[in-house]
Amino acid sequence: MKKNFYKTLLILSIVGLSNTVNAQCDSIASLCSKHIIAQFISDGQSYRSLLLNSEEMAEFHTTFFGETTYRIAACSGKTDGNLIFNIYDQDRHLLFSNKNYTNAPHWDFKVKSTLECIIEAQLDPNKNAGSGCAVILIGFKQK
Amino acid sequence: MAMNIKNFKLNSKIIALCLVSMLIYSCGDPKPTENENADDLPDTDTVKALALNVGGQLFSIPSPMQTALLIQKSGVAYDKTILNAGGKNSQYVSDYTKALNLGIYGADLGYVSMYNQTQDALGYLGAVKNLADKIGVSAAFDQSTMKRINDNISNKDSMLVLVGVAYRATDSYLKTNKRTEISSLILTGGWIESMHFSISAYSSKPTDELKYRIAEQKQALGSIIKLINSHNLPTANLLVKDLEELAKIYEGVNFIYNFVEPTTDEAKKTTYINSTTEISISKAQIEQIAAKILAIRNNIINAKS
Repeated sequence: MKKNFYKTLLILSIVGLSNTVNAQCDSIASLCSKHIIAQFISDGQSYRSLLLNSEEMAEFHTTFFGETTYRIAACSGKTDGNLIFNIYDQDRHLLFSNKNYTNAPHWDFKVKSTLECIIEAQLDPNKNAGSGCAVILIGFKQK
Repeated sequence: MAMNIKNFKLNSKIIALCLVSMLIYSCGDPKPTENENADDLPDTDTVKALALNVGGQLFSIPSPMQTALLIQKSGVAYDKTILNAGGKNSQYVSDYTKALNLGIYGADLGYVSMYNQTQDALGYLGAVKNLADKIGVSAAFDQSTMKRINDNISNKDSMLVLVGVAYRATDSYLKTNKRTEISSLILTGGWIESMHFSISAYSSKPTDELKYRIAEQKQALGSIIKLINSHNLPTANLLVKDLEELAKIYEGVNFIYNFVEPTTDEAKKTTYINSTTEISISKAQIEQIAAKILAIRNNIINAKS
């Protein structure tokens, strides 16, 4: 009886927490979308990842096409500046880090020639003591 | 063994109580306080099972509208015959074909909007709305969004922005509701249609720009295969096989990357990425890619299930 109680409690908690995490990611994505202003067309995707601590990183590979300007918005939590994002080329040369610009929540990239990029995102350890949902949005416009 | 069971019971109780505490806490303020630390969280693997993606690899697929924009810019004339007829939307029955064709229609809507084809845009908007409703993502195409799109249907720039926002809302809605496989299929459909745009445009106006854009999809194709494979969908077996065959053709497409130090204008919050890439793709490879894309697309748009 007692065993079943804890089992049920565990399942309900997992479902409840999962919904809470998703709802949090959703509201962060909504707040973050204000950075993709009207000159930029959204790429139609909402990249989101639960980071369990500031050492954990979300990573994704993307193609930046030549003669295009991209806007990347990076958010976590209810305020700007909680997420650090780094952009590397295929040979792991660091192209940009918002850490050098007070964790700017958005930045533009004018791309000369098409290249493969790796975008990494992590919670700023100075601003996040625990876990958090990381959201990245991408918009583009012709140069 | 008995010891393990005992430990399991104890762990279950602890995890359950921790999770309940977390849940109660998270209902208040989702932002962690300075006093919190990672030790307050339950077992990592337990939490990892909860989210869509935890600190892992995400997949980015280029927007089909970006390709449509390039085609229009390169001076290729509007060609309605290359699109999937909007009226066919009712023949798609399963969620699998609905999702793929929702991606295709979204790309078509972007294409007709790019060329300011108001009447055709209305038709594709109807097809998109119909499939979105059937697939259960009508929340992303709600009344106010539809009204905004309708009000701006003759304004190309606003239309592109609004369609992008509506597709992002769809992606977001599906991820929140744990239907990521549908989201992946929509992206795949959109990507295949954008490839079809590029190939059709290249056959009518074979410019280097269009040729390179076809070649530059090599990484996107790899991401799409990983994305679809991550869902283990039995219905997608044929699609995956076809995409893997396409990837084999792409293996012969070569890139030489030359790193050049980027420059940043802090005041404009802009970084200039100055690196260059040389691409080598043969006529025969383009023809093979075109034939494969045509076959994959035909399987999707002619589905009657």
